[in-house]
Amino acid sequence: MSGELPQTTPPVPTDPLEQLLIERIRKGAIELPLLPQVASRILAMVYDPDAEAAKLAALIHQDQALAAHVIRIANSPAYMTRNPVVSLQHAVSMLGMNLMSELAFSASIKGSAFKVPGWDDEVKGLWHYSLASGAYAKEIARMRRFNVESAYLCGLLHGIGRPVVLQTLVALSKEQGTTLSKESLHQLLDGYYIQVGLLVADEWGLPPPVVESIGFHVDYHYAKTAKQECMTTCLAGRMAKHFLDPDTMDEATLREHAVFADLNLYPKDIDALLAHKDKVQAVVEAMPL
Amino acid sequence: MPTSAYDIVVVGSGPAGQKAAIQGAKAGKKVVLIEQEPGIGGNCVYRGTIPSKTLRETALQFERLKRSNEVFEGRLRLDLPMTVLLHRLDEVVKAHECYMAGQLTRNGVTYRHGRARLLSPHEVQLETVDGACQTLTADTIILATGSRPSSIPGIPVDHEHVLDSDSILSMIYLPRSLTILGGGVIACEYASTFALLGVEVTIIDRGKRPLPFMDQDIVDVFQRSIERQGGRFYSGQTVTEVAWDGVSSVVARLANGMAVKSEKMLVALGRQPNVEELNLEAAGLSLDDKGHIPVNDYGQTAVPHIFAAGDMLGRPPALASQAMEDGRRAVSHALGLPVGDSVIQVPIGIYTIPEIASIGLDEEQAAARYRGPIIGRAPFTEIAKGQITGACDGLLKLVADPSGERLLGVQIVGEHATELIHLGQMALQDGANIDRFIDTIFGFPTFAEAYRVAALDILGQRRKRQEQPKAA
Repeated sequence: MSGELPQTTPPVPTDPLEQLLIERIRKGAIELPLLPQVASRILAMVYDPDAEAAKLAALIHQDQALAAHVIRIANSPAYMTRNPVVSLQHAVSMLGMNLMSELAFSASIKGSAFKVPGWDDEVKGLWHYSLASGAYAKEIARMRRFNVESAYLCGLLHGIGRPVVLQTLVALSKEQGTTLSKESLHQLLDGYYIQVGLLVADEWGLPPPVVESIGFHVDYHYAKTAKQECMTTCLAGRMAKHFLDPDTMDEATLREHAVFADLNLYPKDIDALLAHKDKVQAVVEAMPL
Repeated sequence: MPTSAYDIVVVGSGPAGQKAAIQGAKAGKKVVLIEQEPGIGGNCVYRGTIPSKTLRETALQFERLKRSNEVFEGRLRLDLPMTVLLHRLDEVVKAHECYMAGQLTRNGVTYRHGRARLLSPHEVQLETVDGACQTLTADTIILATGSRPSSIPGIPVDHEHVLDSDSILSMIYLPRSLTILGGGVIACEYASTFALLGVEVTIIDRGKRPLPFMDQDIVDVFQRSIERQGGRFYSGQTVTEVAWDGVSSVVARLANGMAVKSEKMLVALGRQPNVEELNLEAAGLSLDDKGHIPVNDYGQTAVPHIFAAGDMLGRPPALASQAMEDGRRAVSHALGLPVGDSVIQVPIGIYTIPEIASIGLDEEQAAARYRGPIIGRAPFTEIAKGQITGACDGLLKLVADPSGERLLGVQIVGEHATELIHLGQMALQDGANIDRFIDTIFGFPTFAEAYRVAALDILGQRRKRQEQPKAA
């Protein structure tokens, strides 16, 4: 990690579950999801200047479930292909390599990180948040002329710690025989997802801009090498929250944040970003859990 | 809405706006400079001149290293991320920002970050990034909002695969291949930089040759140089469609049926002025058929106290130096200060590899005005410095009147052309004749010697003409 956040003394947790969670994080005893081999290789391709479309198609072919999933997504209204996509090769040829990488990667991590039996609604919410963040990050990057492919990955993965914290808390509450309330769950998710996200990033060997976005999307002023990505991710996350739950994050609250000014986005620019709602909706609907 | 009164409101902090603001402040006026981006300098600093020249410098260093590799038997990684290639950009931009801000502060110019909009002939609304608005009044208004890449119907710039000059440097990696649409300054500068970095470059343009406003011989040298780097020119071609081939390439389909594939595409088909946000009608201004604000030689619009300067005027080639001069002239004229005639003496400098520069008349222009101008040539193969540095891709042309005595213009292609041109500029401005270059002792070995070589070429031709028996 490149930046250093100012040191503060954390409050002593009173919740035993939180104490256990901190203990696990400290000992590195969190059970991290494995990055599926396919996703790992796709990720390498996204950042590999020598990657080829044929290699990507062959890679996705290795996982039949993933291949079928990608074809189904490719046929969804979000990607508006002119003719029905009938094969993986066809999907690659219709959508292009970068988009296919995104679809395949998203579909691939979904199965490994976003699975917590009995908490389907929460997991679905986290998944939708990730997708919407990725979609908004692309639009922000397009508007500010930052790199679009990198922005998507940062948006998609900046909250990767949340489902892992959720899995851990569910397991811990089972062990302790306690009930996990939704209120305390959300507090703990908010409190620890960045720390755990960084553990996942390390485990998965994510690219530096993505790692920095996980660590600094909230305190982007401390980012050193990928400040643009961090600001883009911060805003994308907020826009995703507004898109998914406008009651919790209404438009006035969304517009209040300093990140708009830091990205030099004027009220008219914000209007233009909010107008992408349908595009984001289509992306979210295209990839259900 | 609070109001503030100024003598001069300048909209846009690019080269034109900066120089206009400083000129006004130096004349003792109360000046405010408005910029919509957070930093001073406009596109020139953040997306144009400074970043592209920084990449160009890296490309040149790479080239030198590649040559040294033969000596050191090292291996260069050529798949480096763009961030590595632009590693010095941040410090260059910061230094530039710092000295520009210092200049404005020293001269007492007020700087405001926000978007400007005309409310009436003397009122400008300033909207800050948080949406707050304020009205500024001014006796003189200078519009210097610059330009942006033109949107071309049928060419979908998505800033991901099909890029423009604002987004080309956001790529993570150098592409293996790049198609460039256009044959102007931006197209040629990026073409030569990327070609030197090992990218397979293809330039497609409607014109018969790139840089049509430049001397043919000069452009020929440049074109040959790019072709030696592996670049290809498809001149006189019209693009009918741009699309994904569906796998990993952008495909440009040409009217002749040919398809050109590449990993990325740069669309550099001209620029359009940034005028939409200005609300020109409120001040009584309108655009001409080409979408530009009509102005006179001083940048004065139809509303006498409102001036336009720089790239927004849409005069190719869009040069920072020309924009600076526009800004200075506009304010000088507005304040009744002497303007001078330096506008005709702004050198053209194009940062291709090799560089191209021009001042005064070229061969074609001279031939149209004079019967039989004499042209002196100095190929860099005949200049010791060219041989020593391995920069033999070069040519300096002196254009003289038919007597071979009066200097009319200088055109140069080659290393340091944009620096060398100033010698010609000074000579032109001082009315120096060709013999001046012959009588001057130049350092040896220098590229400047080319002036003397070209002048001697003219001297030889002049003598031949004088020796020819006059027609009875």
